Amino acid sequence: MKTLLVRTHEAWLATLMAALMSKKTENKRVLTEFSDILWRHFTWIEHDLIVRGVDYDYDRENIPIKVERLGVLIADIVRRMNDLEMLLVRCEDEALKDRIRTDLEYMRYALGKLEDEEVTAFDMHRTYRDIELDKEATDALTLFLFEESYKEYELIMIYNYLQAHSDDAFLNRIFQILIDESFFHLRSFGEMMAEMGILGVPRVIHQSLYKVSDIEKFLLDGIEEEIAAKEQCKELSDAVASKSDELAKFFDFINYQENYHIELMRDAVEHFRKKQADG
Amino acid sequence: MQVDPELIGHMANPNNYGSMEEPDAIGIGENPENGEKVIIYLKVEEENGIPRIEEIRFQAIACMTTVVAGSIITKEAEKIDFPTAEELIAVTLGMLENYPPEEAACSEMVAVALKAAMDTYEAKKSDPEIPAIVYKIEQSCTPEPIPNPLETKENA
Repeated sequence: MKTLLVRTHEAWLATLMAALMSKKTENKRVLTEFSDILWRHFTWIEHDLIVRGVDYDYDRENIPIKVERLGVLIADIVRRMNDLEMLLVRCEDEALKDRIRTDLEYMRYALGKLEDEEVTAFDMHRTYRDIELDKEATDALTLFLFEESYKEYELIMIYNYLQAHSDDAFLNRIFQILIDESFFHLRSFGEMMAEMGILGVPRVIHQSLYKVSDIEKFLLDGIEEEIAAKEQCKELSDAVASKSDELAKFFDFINYQENYHIELMRDAVEHFRKKQADG
Repeated sequence: MQVDPELIGHMANPNNYGSMEEPDAIGIGENPENGEKVIIYLKVEEENGIPRIEEIRFQAIACMTTVVAGSIITKEAEKIDFPTAEELIAVTLGMLENYPPEEAACSEMVAVALKAAMDTYEAKKSDPEIPAIVYKIEQSCTPEPIPNPLETKENA
């Protein structure tokens, strides 16, 4: 089952990346839906491991995605799904096994129906839509997107791990909001990266980041990171404001979203402290 | 930082990124000021008593600049013997003297992690149970201080 978790993690990311690089609306829709389904499989398999007391982590192999035709990556995703089906024999939860198996069966069928398309997500042209940025602003945007897309993936995995190991409804509600928000940010930044020809899979995160021993310290550090991320969004918004109102508005929008994350995390800290004090 | 296709390549697909199963040695480079760290994993083979890096992997709990430094330095360190790797570390650290501390810190963290991994390998010869050696960096890359997040709320 541990291998099933790792391979599902990889299939989820490969499918998400395929969705980001696709420019055809229907392909993008299907791939986005399927990546969401694979993510849910991932969390259910993880839950099964926890229930059975199996130690696991979020380590995985690097995922090659650099293709010139989407069909090449789709074929790789289908191959990954074939592997998942074979690994399912180790799943003891019959209901979960059946659910995943039938999902995989349909997804492979539907992926086979997708129209092939040219991929430009790796050509490094580094322009976004028809917006003309100077080299300094383009470089700042490039660095921001690489740094923050990894950060959002990291946050998804950390909050997912914390949620999976918590039975506190108050905290889990906050963790779920933060997971959903990070998914939105990861997709938004990933779309921009694909459009600019610089798409990359976020790197593997180290166990020490999500196997957190001091949740209060983790949340306090997280608040500081959110404040720093807000500042980066503000700087980026200022840097591109004179060239693109559209981009400036987008980064202000992300910046304001961070305000709510910070408040949620402060609520989580206060709740956690109260819970500790109450014993 | 100069952003060009080579740098983007390192950010999108860093060389040798990830952990390693059953490494012969692990070393850690750490920034004591902000807790950022680089972990290097080595598989080593000996030829005429001289250790040689057969495989190298790294992980960074740090910024993208550190990942780029790790991608470049670990690529250089592939398939070289320990004396050559010592030279690589010395050259890297020497070059960093000309860089601003906040930029130098990232590469220094990778260089000292490699040194720590090599020293761990040697130390394991006399004590196989020895844990991964940790070296701390001297350069500072501490960002501007951020106000205490809870104080901000309480004072609001």
